[in-house]
Amino acid sequence: MKGESGKRLLEFLFPLETDTWLAIFRIGFGLQVTLYSLSLRYDWSDLLSGTTRRLAEALLSLESHLTPRFGWLVSLAAKIGLQEKTLLFAAWICLLVAGCGLLAGVACRLSAVAAWFLHLCAAKSGGFVSYGMDNFMTIGLFYLMLSPLPDRYSLDWRLRRLRPKDPQFLGFWRRALQLHLCIIYFFSGLTKSLGIGWWDGSNVWRALIRPPFSVIDPEILVRLKYLFPVAGIFVCVLEFGYPFFIWSSRTRKVWLSSVCAMHGAIAITMGMYLFSLVMIVLNVAAFGPGVFCEERKQIRLQPGTVAA
Amino acid sequence: MAWLALQLLLIVSFSCRDTLRVIGEGPTILPVWFKNFSHKAQTILSIGLGQSWSASNPVREALNTYVNVAGIETGYGYFAPNVPGGYRLVLELHYADGRVEYELPQVRSVAAGLRMAGLLDNIGRTPNDAMREVLVKTLAESSWRKHLDLKSIRAIVGSVRLPTVGQFEEGERRSYEFLYAYDFSPGNDPAETQGH
Repeated sequence: MKGESGKRLLEFLFPLETDTWLAIFRIGFGLQVTLYSLSLRYDWSDLLSGTTRRLAEALLSLESHLTPRFGWLVSLAAKIGLQEKTLLFAAWICLLVAGCGLLAGVACRLSAVAAWFLHLCAAKSGGFVSYGMDNFMTIGLFYLMLSPLPDRYSLDWRLRRLRPKDPQFLGFWRRALQLHLCIIYFFSGLTKSLGIGWWDGSNVWRALIRPPFSVIDPEILVRLKYLFPVAGIFVCVLEFGYPFFIWSSRTRKVWLSSVCAMHGAIAITMGMYLFSLVMIVLNVAAFGPGVFCEERKQIRLQPGTVAA
Repeated sequence: MAWLALQLLLIVSFSCRDTLRVIGEGPTILPVWFKNFSHKAQTILSIGLGQSWSASNPVREALNTYVNVAGIETGYGYFAPNVPGGYRLVLELHYADGRVEYELPQVRSVAAGLRMAGLLDNIGRTPNDAMREVLVKTLAESSWRKHLDLKSIRAIVGSVRLPTVGQFEEGERRSYEFLYAYDFSPGNDPAETQGH
């Protein structure tokens, strides 16, 4: 009995998997990192330099001295006579290049590690100006840099003929991402459903008129007031039910489409484009392949096939 | 497999801790006695996660480093259980010739605007007066650099009060409640601090 359940657990954690999800993940995060860098091109130095950075890093040191931060690079740069602003600009350029590298699939592993490291430095050194989107970018980039890159759509695969060293882990890393997303949505739905405002719709109204998310004129929104309770309950049910309905092939399509639609609506109505993009990328990479069209069996990347 | 088990255990543990924290902090649909329970449970969970150990403890250091680099150091209760109202900072610029102008902290992009709102939330929410003062001062300093003929700056922090749908229909609009004010003059620490 124990042996049988252990075998089933192994089969669940290490399923045979194509690299389609990884291609979506890499391209999606390449786009995310590129847009993230471009969106902060004018404010990057102001947000991440001076007292705010030093204070955020001092607080981070109370938790951990080994978490990457720009302070390390600034100290190193000072030894060779580079100023803080110059270093930050160089870091921004490197992050942008890493994002483009991921997007095209050039030096996939190096690009993924560089993007994770530089974004983490920005998220931690800019701790006071970070928000949920940074957290999800760190999560995604962490899994991406550990996944068996490159995938067959990357330029590394096509031009440099590079192949992943451990393709048998493709299924494992996808499973890790899937389980992580289930926990994220479960707790997000649980904590929301504890607030009365999500059941009567007042939290939907507050979220839409709260600065700086007030993209739509409240005069227009107030005409839709009867939809707020429905939207609030819909969000709670969708998030709380995610781990229960995303696994079944019968409900996955509906749940995945609804979650992506919810994030699309957040982007349009609250102006949180990058947050929505990172959530859609995580969802589509984790649960998208095989939902809307059958994956081709002949391109399965089983260990033996790749080794051959 | 061991790594995945540990990873999932940490994600669930930090998520539980943050869920218990928001239950303890905010009004929820749960009975009041659950609030006390959540405080105790949160403390026990934090101890279990090594957060009560000294900062120099290597196990705590390793654990905190890992959760930070993996992005799993916080829970996922965004806008939960309730959507907060937010905060606002207004800079009152006093010029040498007696003029007074008002300015809001400025950024050059929408993406940075979202981050500035996060910074203002941090300023408004922190219970640490010294930290709030330093953060407000950094925002005031950017105005010093732009307006060299300033005599002093008064930074006013307020909370945003959002109307309900019913109040909005009756004509009530977003309003602000005074929380703190800081006076800065060139090269000096805050001359004066006022609070509500």
